[in-house]
Amino acid sequence: MARPTTAPPAAPEGVAAPVEAPAPPSAPRRSRLERWAPYVFIAPLLAIFAGFYLWPALVTVLSSFFEWGLLRPWSPVEPERWDFVGLGNYTTTLTDPSFWNAALNTAIWLVVFPLLVAAFSLLVSILVWYVSRGGAVFRTMFVLPMTISLAAAGVIWSFVYNPDPQVGMVNALLDRLGILGADWRLGPLELHLGAWLSDPGVLDLGLAEIRLTNLALIIPAFWVFSGFGVITLTAGLTAVSYELVEAAKVDGANAWQVARHVLVPALRGPLVVVGVVSVIFALRTFDIVYVMTEGGPAQDTMVLALLLWQQAFVFLDTPQAGLATAVAVLLSVVLVAGSYRYLRQLVAGRPR
Amino acid sequence: MTGVGYSRRTVVLLYGSLTVLAIVWLVPVISTAMMSLLPVSQIRSGWWNLGLADLTFGNFVRAWDQGLSSYVVNSFLITILSVVLTVGAGSLAAYAYARMAFRFKATTYFLLITTMIVPVQIILIPMLPWFRTLGLSGGPQEYLGIALVHTAFGAGWAVFMLGSFFATIPGDLLEAARIDGAGWFDVFRRIALPLAVPGIVSFAIIDFVFVWNDLLLALTLVGRDHQPLTVGLANLQSPHLAQDDLVAAGSIMAILPPLLLFVALNRFYVRGLFAGATKG
Repeated sequence: MARPTTAPPAAPEGVAAPVEAPAPPSAPRRSRLERWAPYVFIAPLLAIFAGFYLWPALVTVLSSFFEWGLLRPWSPVEPERWDFVGLGNYTTTLTDPSFWNAALNTAIWLVVFPLLVAAFSLLVSILVWYVSRGGAVFRTMFVLPMTISLAAAGVIWSFVYNPDPQVGMVNALLDRLGILGADWRLGPLELHLGAWLSDPGVLDLGLAEIRLTNLALIIPAFWVFSGFGVITLTAGLTAVSYELVEAAKVDGANAWQVARHVLVPALRGPLVVVGVVSVIFALRTFDIVYVMTEGGPAQDTMVLALLLWQQAFVFLDTPQAGLATAVAVLLSVVLVAGSYRYLRQLVAGRPR
Repeated sequence: MTGVGYSRRTVVLLYGSLTVLAIVWLVPVISTAMMSLLPVSQIRSGWWNLGLADLTFGNFVRAWDQGLSSYVVNSFLITILSVVLTVGAGSLAAYAYARMAFRFKATTYFLLITTMIVPVQIILIPMLPWFRTLGLSGGPQEYLGIALVHTAFGAGWAVFMLGSFFATIPGDLLEAARIDGAGWFDVFRRIALPLAVPGIVSFAIIDFVFVWNDLLLALTLVGRDHQPLTVGLANLQSPHLAQDDLVAAGSIMAILPPLLLFVALNRFYVRGLFAGATKG
């Protein structure tokens, strides 16, 4: 899995293990070393954290107010080489059509990906909950893709989508059905069956054109990540009391009614967690797009995380690293602001 | 469980739909595995028409000889170094956050937890010059450099998850040892650590899978000679090269180690992910 490119195993409301720090030692005299003990415990991790997260993040934020490129890196200790542009990188970014194109594609991820993950893991976790034998085996099968890297998943799904019906399974299937290469038009929706990674079609919403290639990329990510949802929701269902289910059955409820009126309501908390973590995952999407399309064709599948990476690391001769840092800062601000409540929840019940 | 008491039709429907879903779910992996075991000519004419006589490990041998071997070695080096650093520094810190009182605890904890949310890109761009300043680029020290970044980014996850395991140890146990005169270090080493071993194993597995699967950091921060398998795979995957056989073999090599770990230690893995969701 991707530690779902760090999906945290999140704590549903109120379940985060509450930790009371034990009262300060009452025993008579502790050595001086003892008094410093907590700091010695946290020092190694915090030193690495400060050197390889806090400091570079700070440099990113500061350097976003300057124009620079990786061939001429911005340095906090060389003011004579600074090229201060104020908010220039931000205004350039926010008026750049390629930024808004990437933002639109990221927004597609943001809406479709969590919905797919939530719907699928809800279905699977409830089905698994119902079966008396083999439930764990089924669960394992659905969790399994979680151990696969997004890079490998990209490669695997490129095979599945391969346009040649002798290689790609999807097109082989469509070929048997005799609809490979068909062009369909349904109102604002245009579909070309076959070219999944180049031009499967467009949904014209008037204000914006949704390129369906993005959906072809979302599916592999969803395939990898759903295991997290299955595990979280399965864990949530262990809290459902069997008395309640038995009572409902005695009252004549069938399996569908039990699922709808007993199980789903019990999953409200865990579903929120799955939703938030998938949104975080979707906003950070990089690997799948990089491996499968590199943002193409043209800019059809470009997302923000890839856009800023290319600005900084591909176009080395133009000083665009400043722009890239601006995009990185914007993305991080949106993520932290958007998940602030969730962040507080993770911290809740912890040190005060 | 609850299957009992429903009509036969419902039960058949349940198992039927789960089986169909599971097959669809696993088909992409199975098809890639088949392609990795077939010669190119067979791949081009549909692996599903396969003749079992044609199965071969030749693709793996050639992929290994054509340079994937060094990617594999790099993957193991980077991953093991990162996991050791994260588990070592992480369990010390997690214990302090779960069991001790100190200044700036809440603030530093909050900062650590942000690594679970903020995208890696926030540190990536100034990282190469920073590595040069620290002398972490241009040689085998790149392994250490990327491992330190993995440790920094795994920090929030480490204190969160390992902390939840340390928090389940009964406080009386630790207090009793303290009253008997044991120092914090003794309590940690002799009592807390042994009790937290299952939790630490769970965390180590999840961290292993995460670091092994990383593409972005490796792609950006380490030079050609030290890149892991994910980057090697991305390089192989070029539409112009037309080497589906090697790509398929490479991707199976990339997914095997975490997969085997997962199958062998499934209990720990799922327990680790459960840890956040249910207590204990």
